[in-house]
Amino acid sequence: MATPISGGSGSVREVELPRVAGVAWPTRAARSETPFAQGVRRLRRSTTALFGVAIVAVLILVAVFADVLAPESPTASDQTQTFAVPSWEHPLGTDQLGRDMLSRVIHGTRISLLVGVSSVLLALFVGVPLGMIAGYHGGRVDTVVMRTMDLILAFPIYLLAIILMVMFTPTAGLIGTMKVTGAIAIVRIPIYARLVRGSVLSIKEKEYIEACRALGLRTPWILFRHVLPNCLAPIIVTTTLGIATSIIVEATLSFLGLGTQPPTPSWGWDLKANVAFIQANAWLSLFPGLAIFVTVLGFNLFGDGLRDALDPRLK
Amino acid sequence: MRVWMLRRLLQIVPTVLMITFVVFVMMQSIPGDPVVALLGDAYTEEDAIKVREAYGLDQPVLVQYFIWLGKLVRGDWGASILTGRPVLNDVLVRLPVTLELIVLSMAVALAIAIPASIIGALRQNTWADYTATSVAMVGVSIPEFFIGVLLLLLFSFGLGGLLPSSGWVYLPGTCPTMVCGVSFWGNLQHVLMPALALGVGRAALLTRLLRASMLEVVRSEYVTTARAKGLAERPVVLKHAFKNALIPTVTVMGLQVGFLIGGAIVVETLFAMPGLGTFGIDAIIARDYQQVQGFALITAFAFVIINLLVDLTYTFLDPRIRYA
Repeated sequence: MATPISGGSGSVREVELPRVAGVAWPTRAARSETPFAQGVRRLRRSTTALFGVAIVAVLILVAVFADVLAPESPTASDQTQTFAVPSWEHPLGTDQLGRDMLSRVIHGTRISLLVGVSSVLLALFVGVPLGMIAGYHGGRVDTVVMRTMDLILAFPIYLLAIILMVMFTPTAGLIGTMKVTGAIAIVRIPIYARLVRGSVLSIKEKEYIEACRALGLRTPWILFRHVLPNCLAPIIVTTTLGIATSIIVEATLSFLGLGTQPPTPSWGWDLKANVAFIQANAWLSLFPGLAIFVTVLGFNLFGDGLRDALDPRLK
Repeated sequence: MRVWMLRRLLQIVPTVLMITFVVFVMMQSIPGDPVVALLGDAYTEEDAIKVREAYGLDQPVLVQYFIWLGKLVRGDWGASILTGRPVLNDVLVRLPVTLELIVLSMAVALAIAIPASIIGALRQNTWADYTATSVAMVGVSIPEFFIGVLLLLLFSFGLGGLLPSSGWVYLPGTCPTMVCGVSFWGNLQHVLMPALALGVGRAALLTRLLRASMLEVVRSEYVTTARAKGLAERPVVLKHAFKNALIPTVTVMGLQVGFLIGGAIVVETLFAMPGLGTFGIDAIIARDYQQVQGFALITAFAFVIINLLVDLTYTFLDPRIRYA
């Protein structure tokens, strides 16, 4: 039986420790840095990770200020200017409808980032609590939750995503984007549930959790205040790398005609639509493809850096 | 071991049943039905009812599933609603194309990843290692279809049509009809770009995984022991280090099968190949339930079998792992 320690934060409070003459409690600054500060320091040392962070930051700015940055509307077609080669007026040329490719690529950032980030967050908000509950309670709850997760995992991911998208019937605009987000999130929920459950299984046997229980703390409080922070590192890493994967899945669905529908600009769709004209107008497929590549690269570099910084064991 | 094999083989049945059942229910829950597509815009409701009856589409979903299952155990995969062709025939005709694509792309992946990861791990933090890791980073960040587009630009349009941009030439002996192109050379020309497009991404992923586990293994004591007892570098690396480094990689590769199937769909679509990927996506979009079931069945089966092979590979890589 572990000795109960008063105080709810899991760490020992200094006031309750006996004072020893001549021994001063170290000041806040002199104490070892928090794991978070340690992670940030390690991350800042890695050039590639910073490069990734820079790419992601620029992309977020491009997505936010797309309306200001794009020289034209991404959907405005000019029939007199179809298949224009790159020029000062249209730096990336125009497509078969005479739409400015640069504006489409810039606006495509929104869909890509929106779907990539929100699908992962959605999967996270569903998967993490499920995994925590399953791992902490065990028994029948665990069996029901994890069998359901196994059911999703038993599917080849693209088969499930494609059928989900056909079920949702792809549309344009925000609703269409939300459908893609939902489909990708469903496919990714089990990843988080499994990851968190695994961590919780080991954490719940730790003495500080036993101490919490001995103190009579409520289960939700223990889970969110004491268990969750201790399995955060792998969650953060998986999330960042997961955004990269989700962006590729979104682009792939769009490429197959099952993503956000036109006229909403989407990189995958633009690439596919322009493959038909690739022989004469190579640049048209090139730019949306490059945009996907740079975005995914940014999140991958960032995620790799985070992994090295937060959890060296995961290397 | 034999008992274990038997048990694993038996486990395949519920998994495949479950996947096909869920796919069936999901496909049927999509509003509308393929009858409209079959009859065209000018159809009468009576016609539609007749067709639905003929295909059993008027039955409840559960009944339809069991009818499908009942036929399946007798070797009948059903017939396409839209073309009337037996599904099993279509699957068998298209399977060799996809198999060839996947096997070759894995060969490409291994041919790149094994030397790259060994060099990367043995010469850590040298220019060779940096090159390997940077190229691998780029490789995992490019979607297959973009690699495909780049290859098309280079080999089909850039170098004066060196390789064909679409279509298929069958290997001798695999031609399903009387009228298809058959030649080894033609087949190679057609499969080269798709296999590269699918293989390069896998190669990048494999390189990263293998390099990381190699780095861990080469620092372990038994590798030092092997070197200390005077063993040559080649057996140390290949027999002692590499074989053990493969274990975590094989696990991840098993999990990657789902992505490989998606990759096959995308690459076959891009290069207009008559494989299972294009068959599946066309069937899903046209909502040809019977064809979708056939596709789900063969995919689920492949998925489960590959994961079984992954488990069997462990026993070969690490004899300490035994299944009782």
